[in-house]
Amino acid sequence: MSAQNPTSTQAMTPASPPVAPATGGWQRGGAQAIRRRITDRAVGVACIVATVVVVYLLFSILWTLIVRGGAGLSLPTFTHSTAAPGTGGGLANAIVGSLEQTGLAALIGTPLGMMAGVYLSEFSCDGRIVSLVRFVSDMMLSVPSILVGLFVYLIFVEPAGHFSGWAGMFALTILFIPVVVRTTEDMLRLVPRAMREAAYALGAPSWRVILSVCLRAARGGIMTGVLLALARISGETAPLLFTSLGNLNWSTSLNAPMASLPVTIYQYAGSAYDDWVQMAWTGALLITAAVLATSILARWWLLRNGSVK
Amino acid sequence: MNTIVMDDVARGVTDVAPPALSIRNLDFWYGTNHALKGISLDFPERQVTGMIGPSGCGKSTLLRILNRMYDLYPGQRATGEVMFDGRNIIAPGMDVNVLRSRIGMVFQKPTPFPMSIYDNIAFGVRLHERLSRSDMDQRVEDVLKRVALWPEVRDRLGASAAALSGGQQQRLCIARTIATRPEVILLDEPTSALDPISTARIEELLDELKRDFSIAIVTHNLQQAARCADRVAFFYMGELVEVDTADQMFTAPHKKQTQDYITGRFG
Repeated sequence: MSAQNPTSTQAMTPASPPVAPATGGWQRGGAQAIRRRITDRAVGVACIVATVVVVYLLFSILWTLIVRGGAGLSLPTFTHSTAAPGTGGGLANAIVGSLEQTGLAALIGTPLGMMAGVYLSEFSCDGRIVSLVRFVSDMMLSVPSILVGLFVYLIFVEPAGHFSGWAGMFALTILFIPVVVRTTEDMLRLVPRAMREAAYALGAPSWRVILSVCLRAARGGIMTGVLLALARISGETAPLLFTSLGNLNWSTSLNAPMASLPVTIYQYAGSAYDDWVQMAWTGALLITAAVLATSILARWWLLRNGSVK
Repeated sequence: MNTIVMDDVARGVTDVAPPALSIRNLDFWYGTNHALKGISLDFPERQVTGMIGPSGCGKSTLLRILNRMYDLYPGQRATGEVMFDGRNIIAPGMDVNVLRSRIGMVFQKPTPFPMSIYDNIAFGVRLHERLSRSDMDQRVEDVLKRVALWPEVRDRLGASAAALSGGQQQRLCIARTIATRPEVILLDEPTSALDPISTARIEELLDELKRDFSIAIVTHNLQQAARCADRVAFFYMGELVEVDTADQMFTAPHKKQTQDYITGRFG
């Protein structure tokens, strides 16, 4: 409304101090302008160099993996279990073990983490409980994974008397949850207040607003968080060393010690046998490819469902 | 002040339809900030009531009381009486979800939900009614025709609502609101984020909608209030200064403050 009222705004503005008349024409600024131009260029070049370095590193890692890992890729890699050096063998037991343990951890961790994230973001009426939960969750984000392995060893493996796939899965779940909690909360907080209010204004109860509107609006970000967590745990070795230990034979039972790709890579890469080292490279390639494929699939699925009735 | 306001209200009531909503001695607090003071105001049925006043005068606050939006925020509280269909809606024990389905609201910025055009409308309906697929299709078509959006979206009901233009999104939001068949529609500066053409279409729409709905609109645009509203209420510093027919308010207001505001002397 103030725009309609030039007289009063003029009256309220204090008299402006006199400003020196413009000078210099196109040379205005002189040395300062030149310095500014140089700084601009320098920062621009520095950014490009930094990007090139990072991208080069990433691609060189990927390339090395593809070349060295790809060389050992064959059908027996997927059909045979790990075997003694020089006798062939594959990674079938490690692949299945990894799938079982990370898959279950994701299956349990995703709903738990999301629910905790929803609680932190949407039911924050009791500030003290919320900040306590958030603090603990953030602590867990930065706990070294080997400590999680030791923790599970103490409360799970030692009482049971043996290593097991369950224990490995449990340790991975502990690492998985805080990432999902954090991203769910952050993404829900990005949902505009106006959108929530619009949903409430239609007479929707809170749970409907959260489920049908907020989580929907945030699903892209939450999905990214879940994938990030999945990527994190699928490469974890330390927590599995104390929990599922590894298994040289084919076994799908979660009650027994269980093989996994990272642990197998860890054991093989440090061995003195060429075919084991080769197998470690192949395993590393498999993990990377799996994480990449999951991420692409999830994005494709999100895109497709974003525009479908 | 209050008695004069009551007189104004009384005069308004005698020459128009009975009120859809009737506010008496309403006070509102944001924590310790006394944002509305002793408001008494009627919203006549099937008319457009415009609410004007400088920023922070309490007009949006008042609007958000009428569908209990303030419930979402602890520390905000209202006292007094807001009568709607025989009940005081700000009294405890009111089912706010039912209330909100009877008193709908459209916001300043278009807020399409992250779903298809069809589901944006069906979402609100499903909360309160169980309709067969064909009935729901019919309802969606009806309300989209009502807001003159049907020709533009009939072929892409399954497309994301976010792909619509701002003006289309706002008309979708109005369609979504009337789809739950409310009796009152509250509009909080519904055109302030829109271009002039979209604004004109919404204003035309208001004229059409008031045949079936009682409408309360908050606006910063005095021309808009003059064009759309049957009655206009002027708020200043949390108080209702004056309420009268739009013609009277914009040609010969009774209060000096109103006169000063509409001629642009402050605000």
